[in-house]
Amino acid sequence: MVAIDRSLVGSELAAAGATNADAIPAAARRAGASPGQVLALTVIGTLVLGLFASRDLPSWTERLEDVPFAPTIRVAAAQWDAAMERIGFTRPHEAIREEIRALLDRGWGAAE
Amino acid sequence: MLFPTFDFLLFFVAVAAAMTALDGRFLAKKIVLVIASYFFYAQWDWRFCFLLAFSTAVSYGAGRAIAAAPGARRRRAVLTAAVTVHLLLLGAFKYFDFFVLSTNQFAHLLGLQHELPFLEVILPVGISFFTFHGISYVTDVYRGDVEVCRQPVDMALYMSFFPQLVAGPIVRAAYFLPQLQRESREPIPVAAALVLILGGLFKKVVLANYLATGLVDPVFAAPTGYSGPDLLLGVYGYAVQIYCDFSAYTDIAIAVAALLGFRFPRNFNQPYRAQRLREFWQRWHISLSSWLRDYLYKPLGGNRHGRAKTYRNLMITMLLGGIWHGAGWKFVMWGALHGGGLAAERIVEPWIGRRPRTSAGKALSTILVFHFVCLAWVFFRAEDFDIAWVYLGGLGSGWQNGLQQVGPFAVMLIALGLATQFTPPDWLERASAIIGRLPYWGMGAMAGIVVALINALGPEGVAPFIYFRF
Repeated sequence: MVAIDRSLVGSELAAAGATNADAIPAAARRAGASPGQVLALTVIGTLVLGLFASRDLPSWTERLEDVPFAPTIRVAAAQWDAAMERIGFTRPHEAIREEIRALLDRGWGAAE
Repeated sequence: MLFPTFDFLLFFVAVAAAMTALDGRFLAKKIVLVIASYFFYAQWDWRFCFLLAFSTAVSYGAGRAIAAAPGARRRRAVLTAAVTVHLLLLGAFKYFDFFVLSTNQFAHLLGLQHELPFLEVILPVGISFFTFHGISYVTDVYRGDVEVCRQPVDMALYMSFFPQLVAGPIVRAAYFLPQLQRESREPIPVAAALVLILGGLFKKVVLANYLATGLVDPVFAAPTGYSGPDLLLGVYGYAVQIYCDFSAYTDIAIAVAALLGFRFPRNFNQPYRAQRLREFWQRWHISLSSWLRDYLYKPLGGNRHGRAKTYRNLMITMLLGGIWHGAGWKFVMWGALHGGGLAAERIVEPWIGRRPRTSAGKALSTILVFHFVCLAWVFFRAEDFDIAWVYLGGLGSGWQNGLQQVGPFAVMLIALGLATQFTPPDWLERASAIIGRLPYWGMGAMAGIVVALINALGPEGVAPFIYFRF
């Protein structure tokens, strides 16, 4: 075990002050919420995501292997996606994917 | 379980629900977080939970033993034993087969036929991170920098807390354990957390993933098929990819911890705007570079014993920092380049100064440091030494024809990634102030829409984070 010494200054590596600097500075902590509000916010975000990203739900459920009721979840995901398609909520997702695909096909992509 | 997946989102909703239900009962919250963290870790391989538990038990026991030891010699013996156990764990799981391979190759060179057998163990994800947590805890207890942890659940949470478990940041005990003594009553910085999560998702899902699949992977797989300008953009692409990938992970980890009421330290600070290599290491993976400084460079003697020993200590620190990233000579080379670069910078510092003074000097220094870092990234990213040398050799050819295969989309992604290095230093505060004007339900809806947008913009499927393999 090498000697342990804390009296050094001027290291090439991270400055001492940086070690304990909070990643979120005080000025960015002004808008605060309670744990309950965080939960509500997360649930709302998840639901909204479920509305607009339903195209990826079926493929996600296909990857659920050891989960109980996986077949039921897969059917529910497919039905949910079909319902979102009927409403038209899948259109933004499909339009963006289509544009990106077209962009890449037009030679905007990179190395082959 | 990766951050940018539905799996993680549902897991986080469940944890957030538990935190809400247990508000005011801090011990119960901590127990639930430990269980959640082990569940999170078990998604990779449940058997590694025993390894994590063992590492935690060693750290906890050693801390108590150091605190109870009657004399300095006994305390030192406990510290030595604990650090040795941690390093043996890391060595057995991460470096044993590399050691065997290198020994066998050396034996072949000497004409010996006998080969040592390989262990062929799977690398437990996150072992480099939780081992460093354990080592820093026992060392800090020994030094008196942190109070000994008397609550097993606190120790278990410190070692296993899921946001940082598999890819950092490396959070010091002195920073995190005091947060476990009493429940924080300060409001959760939800706007800043959302900015970090959404920014992190964009960096990972869009920038890093497209650059990986569309540019970096093919270029590094067969560099002989590309011109010099293509290869140059390939390594720029990797510089942006690894930054976006790793900083995205830590941004999301910081945000998830914040949403659960905990603080994490900063891990990145626009590293590619550094004007000196020394400064680069003050901005890149700060939690690792400060760990190496405090637990390796300084104990080696740091800069106390003259120039020659300072250079030696820098080289040893960066070589070991390199090999921390992976068991392979290419990582040793990466560390050697950085160690040598830091030493060289120190040598010429009397002539060039600690910082450039003019605007032109600053711009030139930033460009030079960036290209030196890119040179080292070639070894870091290439499959092996041979590919790295071929890659570097190819950089000099085909310039008369310009870019042959790299398209404008990749150039745009690189430019966008590099632009993140030059945003105002207080961008997080500014963005948080804007989002913070929304009611919390509005923030949730906005986040859902932006995540859906990022999901649609990115390629299908999510590649694992680069630092998971370290």
